[in-house]
Amino acid sequence: MRMNRTANTILGAIVLSAGLTACGTSEEGAEATGEEVAVAEEMTVIEERQANFEGIGDAFMAIRGQLEEASPDFGVIAASAQTIDTNANKISGYFPEGTGMDSGADTEALATIWEQPEEFAAAIDRLTGASAGLVEAAASEDVEVVGAAVMNLGGACMNCHETFRLDDES
Amino acid sequence: MTEDRIKVWDLPVRLCHWSFAVLVPALWWTAENSEMGWHMRLGVLLLALLVFRILWGFFGSSTARFSSFLKGPGKVFAYFRGATKMQPATIGHNPAGGWSAVLLLGAMLLQVFFGLFSGDPFDGATGPLNHVVGVMTAGAMTDRHEFFFNIVLALVALHLLAIVFYAVVKRDRLVPPMVTGSRKMPAGVAGMVGVPAWRALVCAAIAAALAYWVWSGAPGL
Repeated sequence: MRMNRTANTILGAIVLSAGLTACGTSEEGAEATGEEVAVAEEMTVIEERQANFEGIGDAFMAIRGQLEEASPDFGVIAASAQTIDTNANKISGYFPEGTGMDSGADTEALATIWEQPEEFAAAIDRLTGASAGLVEAAASEDVEVVGAAVMNLGGACMNCHETFRLDDES
Repeated sequence: MTEDRIKVWDLPVRLCHWSFAVLVPALWWTAENSEMGWHMRLGVLLLALLVFRILWGFFGSSTARFSSFLKGPGKVFAYFRGATKMQPATIGHNPAGGWSAVLLLGAMLLQVFFGLFSGDPFDGATGPLNHVVGVMTAGAMTDRHEFFFNIVLALVALHLLAIVFYAVVKRDRLVPPMVTGSRKMPAGVAGMVGVPAWRALVCAAIAAALAYWVWSGAPGL
């Protein structure tokens, strides 16, 4: 569960900007060093990555919410499935080295992502396969077909979380 | 003026109070540090303590009872108008502190309530009652649980500021009595009226049973 992510992000941004400001004044307005730029980029990629995953989570919730309705709105389902598929296909670009938990950043990305790159790529492939399947299922406008595709996608989410994301439930 | 040391707070009130003081920061820390397993264990423990404290507000000793410290708006405003002056010596919550205590209890209870339904089974930890509501309700509960902590935090801040105000302006240290249960008051001020210990055991048993039922996912609901 993502608790207070926004608060953390804001706090991180304040700490980072305060740190950069402090560096700036001590160096009499000198240009940011290479290291500072790299740290700022890592922050950005982690924020974008989390926003991308939250987009998937919200869209997935919208679909499941529709399936609980007596007469689901397949327009909402189709649009949400498309969002999931679009975001899922961006995931592989959001994990440059040095953006895991070990960096000290506020992320639950485990080092196994970079230690087992082939397995990680396979987990992403499983997700993009499932998200393409969900887009297709949405077009069928059949509750049972969508339901099966939803379970398949949920399985792909959890498959990756199990191995590559910090277990926060123990 | 002679002073006597008299009883002010009973043991259950003090235990609840200091448990809240430890649990609220611990719950914040566990949520921020991806320790959701502990977050939920401690959250259900907080639920049990809140239920106990509410029962104790009806069946506990004199200063624990809501009926002894919840005063109407007239008395609360009158108290605020004279807040920096000498007030008649009484024990227990004053008219402002009584409402502060109830607000804190209510805010913690509401926060626990939101948390019980929070989370997403496809995305990490879920509260023990997550499954009894629809996915959209659970999503809304998660948002409320995240937001409402700020309200809890604001009430805690107000509570701490009031303690500082009493210590600095009114020269009245409120913390030691909450630790020891007793304080010196002018002679003649009546102390707390206690109740038999078995009442605390019955209230604790009811609170524990309710918390266990919630922890088990509310079977039968």
